[in-house]
Amino acid sequence: MADNNVNLPPGFRFYPTDEELVVHFLHRKAALLPCNPDVIPDLDLYPYDPWELDGKALAEGNQWYFFSRRTQNRVTGNGYWKPLGGDEPVTTSASKRVGLKKYYMFYTGEPPAGIKTNWIMQEYRLSDTASSSRSSKRKGHPKTDYSKWVVCRVYERDDDDDGTELSCLDEVFLSLDDLDEINFPN
Amino acid sequence: MPQNMSISVNGQSQVPPGFRFHPTEEELLQYYLRKKVSYEKIDLDVIRDVDLNKLEPWDIQEKCKIGSTPQNDWYFFSHKDKKYPTGTRTNRATAAGFWKATGRDKMIHGNSRRIGMRKTLVFYKGRAPHGQKSDWIMHEYRLDDNTTDTNNVSNAMGEATQEEGWVVCRIFKKKNYHKTLDSPMSSSLTISETGTSQWFSSNDEGTLEQILGPEHVGKTCKEEDEANNSKRFLRPIETGVNNGLIERCMKLPNLECPNSMITSQTCYQQIHHDQMLRENDAANIVTNQMFSGDPNPDYHPETSFNDWAALDRLVASQLNGQTETSKLLSSSFSDPSMAITALCSPCDGDDAQHIQLLQPQSSSSSSNRPYHTTQDYNNEFDLWSFSRSSADQLCQMLQYDRPTL
Repeated sequence: MADNNVNLPPGFRFYPTDEELVVHFLHRKAALLPCNPDVIPDLDLYPYDPWELDGKALAEGNQWYFFSRRTQNRVTGNGYWKPLGGDEPVTTSASKRVGLKKYYMFYTGEPPAGIKTNWIMQEYRLSDTASSSRSSKRKGHPKTDYSKWVVCRVYERDDDDDGTELSCLDEVFLSLDDLDEINFPN
Repeated sequence: MPQNMSISVNGQSQVPPGFRFHPTEEELLQYYLRKKVSYEKIDLDVIRDVDLNKLEPWDIQEKCKIGSTPQNDWYFFSHKDKKYPTGTRTNRATAAGFWKATGRDKMIHGNSRRIGMRKTLVFYKGRAPHGQKSDWIMHEYRLDDNTTDTNNVSNAMGEATQEEGWVVCRIFKKKNYHKTLDSPMSSSLTISETGTSQWFSSNDEGTLEQILGPEHVGKTCKEEDEANNSKRFLRPIETGVNNGLIERCMKLPNLECPNSMITSQTCYQQIHHDQMLRENDAANIVTNQMFSGDPNPDYHPETSFNDWAALDRLVASQLNGQTETSKLLSSSFSDPSMAITALCSPCDGDDAQHIQLLQPQSSSSSSNRPYHTTQDYNNEFDLWSFSRSSADQLCQMLQYDRPTL
């Protein structure tokens, strides 16, 4: 799945921002517009366990992306997704609110006695204002159709490091460099 | 699905939405730099050539944009030229400052074969030696075809021959270390009570708690998160961080400060004492991690391996407040009695303990007694000899009343 059908040279990876996920991918999906590149598959009818996503969802590194629809209970073959906290707004760089992001944690077993895992899901949906204003224009279409689409990012909890930290040892060396520059009192 | 996305970077059209240039070190070396040195055409003009003497880091940021999406790091090719026709040093000065190498070069492996080296440089504003350190960091990658030996290669060797030619570089602004994770994800990480109480009872009881205040005990912070999560080291661009760590530590030269053992002890105690007051939560967490992770006091190299990451963090955090430390050292230099006081500080035991844990290879009997506190200063020197020259300076500072160095 590393090859996303996008003809890019080595080194390019699918690392979308929240804004891109919502504005470019989710919005187009929900509005039935073609996504270009059409890389995120629709797994709406397939409640996979997170470890089953490989080969089915779009994989990049240790993250998996897929479209789905909102449901009250996200139950999979071997467990369920439990909501974590409330909704976080997704805003554009121009501070316009375009969507909402919700965290889930995966539990194996049956609720409420499931066992917590390290699998996390971020579920992005279009913000209600955006969807309702749109759907009101489209009379005759139930507004749920539009707002039910979500795009999900699943990963096993890990550091959110993006590589702009030095290795620990480098930090030590870097700090020691300062010792060369001690000012001596005269 | 349409495949007519023509992507030209740095120019008119763009990388498709959602995609970023995040090459692995192997891709940088094996694909991009290898093509560059053999004059092969690279499909897209993703990595541009940059004259490091002409562009400041913030200019590179502009020049090496890929598409219009936000970036955390920037890539470019650079041709290294000698600073002097006869010398081996590279000229990396710009109008506003200069790039200064730090640390040791890191080997880069691909398919379990050594494929290149990575040098880390820091941008200083101003002119050497009075530059002001910035947050701009450069990783400079060079191909390394000559050496087939995958280990035991001294990095210093062959350095001279590597100082010319094309390199591929990545610059980024360093994140700062001491930040807490506020996301809900981190809430499950807490300090185990056992570890904390062990730590306190093995020392001056309650002292640290007084220093720290109770709110610091049990604080969740990034250090601990990472200590718990050794997976971080499997991230593509940093793969192999651990590989050379122990080896490098073991290879450290001994501290050559023969006539001033007690003095340099003193000055490091002073550093620790000072740092204790601010950096203590990090130290505490790390220590806690070690003790709670392995209640058996016997040292198992395998199980303690992950703790190296934590210790690394500890050392970095202990050293991070260098500015203050420097000031402090300066002041202790003018007032020798301060140094004496530091020697008697209640933190002696703590420091020795940290340092002892940094030396799991020393298979002396003391390894079996993690709470033993007095006899491991030599280990401490091993550690601190990372910067032998710096340590020498410190020794001299405290010994002689020298106005300049």
